[in-house]
Amino acid sequence: MLSLRRSSLLLAGLLVVSACATRPPADEPEAVAEFEQTNDPLEPFNRTMFAVHNGIDTVVLRPAAKVYETVLPQPVRTGVGNVLSNLRSPVVAVNDLLQGNPDRLLVTVGRFMINTTFGLGGIFDVAGATGMPGHSEDFGQTLATWGVGEGPYLFIPVLGPNNPRDLVGRGADVAADPLTWILANNGNTAENLGYARLGLTILDARANLLDTVDAVNETSLDPYATFRSAYRQNRNQQIRNAGELPSTAGPLARRAQPGNAAAAEPDAGTGALQPR
Amino acid sequence: MNRRTLLASALAAPFALTALGHFAVPAAHAEIDINTAAQFVQTTGQDLVGVLNSNQPVAVRRQQVAAVLRKAVDVDGVGRFILGRWWRVATPAEQQEYMKLFEETLIRNLSARFGEYQGVRFSLGRSQQRTEDDALVNTTIERPNSAPFSLDWRVGEVGGQPRVVDVIAEGTSLRLTQRSEYSAVISRNGGQVAALLDAMRRQIAALAARETR
Repeated sequence: MLSLRRSSLLLAGLLVVSACATRPPADEPEAVAEFEQTNDPLEPFNRTMFAVHNGIDTVVLRPAAKVYETVLPQPVRTGVGNVLSNLRSPVVAVNDLLQGNPDRLLVTVGRFMINTTFGLGGIFDVAGATGMPGHSEDFGQTLATWGVGEGPYLFIPVLGPNNPRDLVGRGADVAADPLTWILANNGNTAENLGYARLGLTILDARANLLDTVDAVNETSLDPYATFRSAYRQNRNQQIRNAGELPSTAGPLARRAQPGNAAAAEPDAGTGALQPR
Repeated sequence: MNRRTLLASALAAPFALTALGHFAVPAAHAEIDINTAAQFVQTTGQDLVGVLNSNQPVAVRRQQVAAVLRKAVDVDGVGRFILGRWWRVATPAEQQEYMKLFEETLIRNLSARFGEYQGVRFSLGRSQQRTEDDALVNTTIERPNSAPFSLDWRVGEVGGQPRVVDVIAEGTSLRLTQRSEYSAVISRNGGQVAALLDAMRRQIAALAARETR
């Protein structure tokens, strides 16, 4: 058993070593600067994982998302997305707290209460429609606000673009989610509900990305590089809490600016405006 | 599996990527007035939406889109920014060819999707000064049967005129993303700029084929 573990460790080590991108020679400062800027020392390994992901996506994820989009009309899909966001509220609230944002914590808790009741279990984003749009947080972002670096870029099949910090954050979020424990410890029905939630989350996420991913794959000369760059920029925006819909009600309302066209979109859903 | 993380892999919205993705100009040096910038984005956006929604033949609309783009964007500046460090590696002939292909890519990316943009509308959102030189103008883009999305236009002053410097969607700057893309193509082909030019030619051919469908 021990030797098996040792040899698999050795194998993993070899894989990582052989998968390292070659650092450009020091006499090419621009190339070195770009290498560091790109933050992808495991690029060959990541590109392999990207190919694996594309295989899975072509055969399973994208067709499933297409069916989901075709079968359910937009209002229903919006409702599903709203319910999933609402169920994530406890995790968002914990991260609001850990990031030291009491106002944002109040918004998350208030939205959860309003949408769970008046929004019929979170189907309707009543709070968002009345000027208190939601936001998302995760433990990867919390670690970033604590000054933890992202580490080398990683591409993980199914999960997509990633890095060690965000992977750890994802694990922490699952552990911090009360639903994880409630659904895991209450018999078969609860367990199946957990799987249903996971499945719907994947479908919802992939369906929201259909147009965007298709467009990148069609127009980018190197989709891997495009997704890598876009992910890291987008992640930085999320960490800064920039680009969110402004509030016209609730604890964050005083920061709202008058004459904002985006605020006039009551059904824009939770979080930032999302590309369709 | 959470939605934000997958979302994070989204580049810009498709409209931004394909229609406006190449609108980038290197940082201008004169400071631009925020109202001038907003007015400029308003006018340019109206022009573009007008062309996209017109009933003219595709070839005519392509000409019109090209005219709007040439007026609103310093294509040379955008192109040079995106080619980045490889600009000096390229021969003068390659530089010239690259610029030609870059402008063609910009136009064809729009004209290949005229159908998808039917009914597109846009409106100005909040406007804010972001950097010392450039203004960032926020707009909301709406298409039928799609959720509206937010698009920021970075406007600088080039040669005394306001010009779009960059387009930003979901925190993703398109000129930065595209620089990364082009550089990856060149790097992976042994530092040959010619490889990028080949890829661009193939892309233009594919877009042209799509247009006639």
